[in-house]
Amino acid sequence: MTARSLVIALVAAAAGLVSSSADAQQPGAPAATVIAVPPMTSPDTGTKGNEMLALAWQATQLIDTDLQQTAELMPLSPDRNDYYSYPEVTAPNFMKWRGRGAKALITGFVKSRPDGRYTVGCYVYDVDKGRELAREGYVVIPADLRRAAHKCSGLAYKAITGAPGMFDTRIAYVAETGSPAARVKRIAIMDSDGFNHKYLTPGDTIVLTPRLSPHAARLAYVSYQGGVPQVRILDLGNGEQRPLLAGDAMTFAPRYSPDGSKIVFSMMLGANSDIYVVGANGGAPQRLTVAPGIDTDPGFSPDGSRIVFESDRSGTQQLYVMNADGSQQRRITFSTAAYSAPEWSPDGKYIAFTWRMGDTRRIGIMAPDGTGEKILTAGPADEEPSWAASSRELVFQRTEANGRPAIYRVNLDGSAPRKMTVPQDGSDPNWSGTMD
Amino acid sequence: MRKPVLLLAALIAVPASAQLPGLRRRAPPPQVPVQNPVDVLRADFAAQSGGTTVYFANGSAELTPQAKLLLQAQAAWLRQHPDVAVRIEGHGDPADTRDHALALGAERAAEARNFLILLGTPAAQVSAMTWGKERPGPPSAVTTIVPPSGGPALVPAGG
Repeated sequence: MTARSLVIALVAAAAGLVSSSADAQQPGAPAATVIAVPPMTSPDTGTKGNEMLALAWQATQLIDTDLQQTAELMPLSPDRNDYYSYPEVTAPNFMKWRGRGAKALITGFVKSRPDGRYTVGCYVYDVDKGRELAREGYVVIPADLRRAAHKCSGLAYKAITGAPGMFDTRIAYVAETGSPAARVKRIAIMDSDGFNHKYLTPGDTIVLTPRLSPHAARLAYVSYQGGVPQVRILDLGNGEQRPLLAGDAMTFAPRYSPDGSKIVFSMMLGANSDIYVVGANGGAPQRLTVAPGIDTDPGFSPDGSRIVFESDRSGTQQLYVMNADGSQQRRITFSTAAYSAPEWSPDGKYIAFTWRMGDTRRIGIMAPDGTGEKILTAGPADEEPSWAASSRELVFQRTEANGRPAIYRVNLDGSAPRKMTVPQDGSDPNWSGTMD
Repeated sequence: MRKPVLLLAALIAVPASAQLPGLRRRAPPPQVPVQNPVDVLRADFAAQSGGTTVYFANGSAELTPQAKLLLQAQAAWLRQHPDVAVRIEGHGDPADTRDHALALGAERAAEARNFLILLGTPAAQVSAMTWGKERPGPPSAVTTIVPPSGGPALVPAGG
């Protein structure tokens, strides 16, 4: 898969109208926007044309599936009777879609190129106003046609909701097999729709907590390869890996900074777990906390200026926020519950966390100042929330009644969590930002 | 095929464990060639110390009076076996989140290790690590004898 950007500029692209509709939907808004997704077309003719139309149909179905996963958009599923010609990509029949009750419309095409790649064009319209909201083009190798379709879904999602789409993203997690006493754990990664699933570690040693770099090019995780838990870095492009730090100290709970240049993590020094930050390519770690007891699970705010973490310095596990240099540490949760595993939302508005009372664990969110706490799941054993790029959905681990962990998704709108399909048991999910 | 092998192992184990209470310092290891010498040491360590495992209250890394008594016995055994390296493996609580369990297990192991060092055990003789919640069981720290060669390098060079 290419690491280079797929996006190209389409000729005569309309001025950005995205912001005008950005406030159309807020999290929790009851009504979903109905969006028409008729089958995409192709300018190619003859045998090539048929081939491109078949690919365009696949891409259209993928967009439909993507948008059905959202709480904000309700796609009118593609119908072959609604096929349109190439010129109609930019001059759609708004009257027809108004008649079907659609408020928005996606059109597009797949075109062959002499170099064997495809150009995929994608256009989003406001049906009522009869005007274009966004357009984007992608040049992809055949294997990346899925990604172009996901990008197209993301374009529509962003044009209508104002939030980045989470379709061209990846989810890393720990795939688990074996008995509870002899668990085999492997780092696995997949596209957010479950496709392109692959294992990244062989299962010969315990591995934990994969944490993707912002655009899913690298992955930090914890491995027992050296006998004690230590953070390792895996390059997803070339498969190379290395320890984050030299030496034999126990390190864990890694997370990348939003620009990918730093990693914040926990390190044991005697009986003391403190938070450190180090360059993503190595260097000398800088210590950020000095409190006795356990400080762990650090994570950056999306602008990189602050770090949320958990600490038991008050006697129970509570959440704290500090500046990225360790200054101005302040507690944000004050409750009889225990709080842990925080993660800041990509839009900066929320901190997700694991809420614990006794043995019951649930997923919740709150504002970064600790106000507006909202518990999203019922438990009894939910943990490790990780944000979608849209900041409107979370992936988390739920240990089911049979004691086996599984990966779930939950939307902020309060709808019931949905189980994701993975080949085995799954734990420690981590959702990437949108890929380049 | 499988059953006779198991029976044989059981027969060998009986005389070995029967000899253990009589083990003295500097006494030659029992001549049971099929038994792993590390297993013999482990059995002796557990028998002489009264156990390998200290337990903690949920959420706590504080050593209980019982834990301290057990560690005192372990320290006495380690004084008699200065060539034997041990590793203390800490466990978090099963209801902890992943990273907190790692930290709590490490804290428990470190508290037990620090107590042994306080009692005179050389720091280089005892290492510490954490399983977090990767091994099912109660909140605990388990002292285990490290095989002298082979296996992962678990003993820090400088202590």
